[in-house]
Amino acid sequence: MTALRGRSPAAQAAPEQTRARYPDAEGFVERDGVRLFWERYGDGDTTVFLLPTWSIVHSRFWKAQIPYLARHFRVLTFDGRGNGRSDRPAGAAAYTEREFAADALAVLDTTGTGRAVAVGLSCGALWGTVLAADHPDRVAGLVVIGPAVGLAPPHPERAVHSFLEPLDTDEGWARYNRHYWLRDYRGFLDFFFSRCLTEPHSTKQHEDCVGWGLEIAPETLADSQQGLLLCGLESFRDCCGRVRCPTLVIHGDEDAIRPHAQGAALAAATRGRLVTLAGAGHLPQARHPVKVNLLIREFVESLGGRAR
Amino acid sequence: MRAREPDAEGYVDRDGVKLHYEVFGDGEPTLLLMPTWTIVHARFWKAQVPYLARHHRVVTYDGPGNGRSDRPLDPAPYGCEAQGRLALAVLDATGAERAVPVSLSMASQWALWLMAHRPERVLGSVFIGPSLALTPGHQGRQQPFEEPYTSTEGWAKYNWYYWQDHYQDFLEFFFSQCFTEPHSTKPIEDAVGWGLETSAAVLLAENDAPWVDQATLRAWCAASRCPVLVVHGTKDQISPLRRGRALAEATGGGLVVMEGAGHIPLARDPVKVNLLTREFVESLPEGSRP
Repeated sequence: MTALRGRSPAAQAAPEQTRARYPDAEGFVERDGVRLFWERYGDGDTTVFLLPTWSIVHSRFWKAQIPYLARHFRVLTFDGRGNGRSDRPAGAAAYTEREFAADALAVLDTTGTGRAVAVGLSCGALWGTVLAADHPDRVAGLVVIGPAVGLAPPHPERAVHSFLEPLDTDEGWARYNRHYWLRDYRGFLDFFFSRCLTEPHSTKQHEDCVGWGLEIAPETLADSQQGLLLCGLESFRDCCGRVRCPTLVIHGDEDAIRPHAQGAALAAATRGRLVTLAGAGHLPQARHPVKVNLLIREFVESLGGRAR
Repeated sequence: MRAREPDAEGYVDRDGVKLHYEVFGDGEPTLLLMPTWTIVHARFWKAQVPYLARHHRVVTYDGPGNGRSDRPLDPAPYGCEAQGRLALAVLDATGAERAVPVSLSMASQWALWLMAHRPERVLGSVFIGPSLALTPGHQGRQQPFEEPYTSTEGWAKYNWYYWQDHYQDFLEFFFSQCFTEPHSTKPIEDAVGWGLETSAAVLLAENDAPWVDQATLRAWCAASRCPVLVVHGTKDQISPLRRGRALAEATGGGLVVMEGAGHIPLARDPVKVNLLTREFVESLPEGSRP
């Protein structure tokens, strides 16, 4: 059953910002006792499915995509388990890529969506790929942005420190540590998003992300982090090989979270197209939204009738 | 790189001072986006030009002292009447018989001069964050300007000597006061960059140009006959809201108060400013159109 952990007091106090576009429909779907909150914007034959990513943020991280894409397509999104208005189950096993992929399928079912073009950011590339491999009839195309996939080595500075062991330093990536999270969660969020948003003038996006990060408790985030580690590389490679739909990989060449080589490897493994964004960091959907929106739209339109 | 490139550009030469102008779009009437304090040039309208040019003919120009215009070190071209006449020269050069001037901050006095002295050329006038001596300014800004500085904190940097010693630091301070809204790092960087395209010597020459006294400003306001819109932020740290209010009252114009906005809402709240400007222009009586 679902053990719920509350939102942090800071997040509870913060009112939601106004939106450029409000959903036309919203609701919850329950799967294995976990309630997931979804939203639908716009109408039409073609659905763009904006997937959750790591539960450190919730579906508002698509805020710069939704208003534009919803003018052209039916747009579906949901809060990944652990954040937003979805439940926050405890334990690493609740946060594997299989759980997220099954959640995505449940959202497709409950909204009566036969087929969709799935779009995943960072860890969202994991469940997007699993969904496309296991349900080829439901996924007409796959777009992944800054994919967090172990098909190429990580940045060396991220491989230095243990996540579970106490460390004697709080510098840099040493903050990516469970003990530090429990001691100074805000300090971790500030650090992590400074590495996500390496472009100048990112203060607004940084503030947004930290605010969403405060909506999940550090214990839950640690569960989700451990859950992602359960993703086996061999089974993921196998998933990539089974993807039959067209794929588009977008990756910034200054991504300090996940090396560009990981995106290039995913594009190769899925026989997809790779678009490299010069100077972009890990969250180009936030810092280069026009470029990303146009790429998504062009990709969806290139699928023609297959996307419907 | 720009979102919209000009359709025409050129120079006007008046009394030996060459000014660079640009024209975008072709819908009537013409909007004249005026220069402001020489510390920046015409690119400060960058968030207005692409939108407004879809609906109207937009003319911008660099005032004397910055951008692609000359940088005279003689105070004369920086005076109010001289600035008003430079604006007329740009209207003449671009074939704009009549126009809607849109002014920011200290350009408000040049727009008022136009309204009072060439009413037949002004269809209506939009003022943003007007910096006009109709009422007292902010208390904290009253620091000695022409005496050697004894402090380097805050508004003490607004000083004849400090500008010559620490020009970039002054720019960074000044624009931090212009952009009080959170997340203003990009507009601050833009504005500091434009400020570095001129020099302390130019700003000092400009400072020596004669200023218009309050009685004259009031007379110009009273003489104005065209529709007026004043847009002013509640958090304007350069020119207090009471000045915008006083201008709207003195001209019988409309006042839009922007909650939480600083001195340059056209950069930080561009959608709102653009829509207000367009609505105002479209509300002008048909008969006033050319």
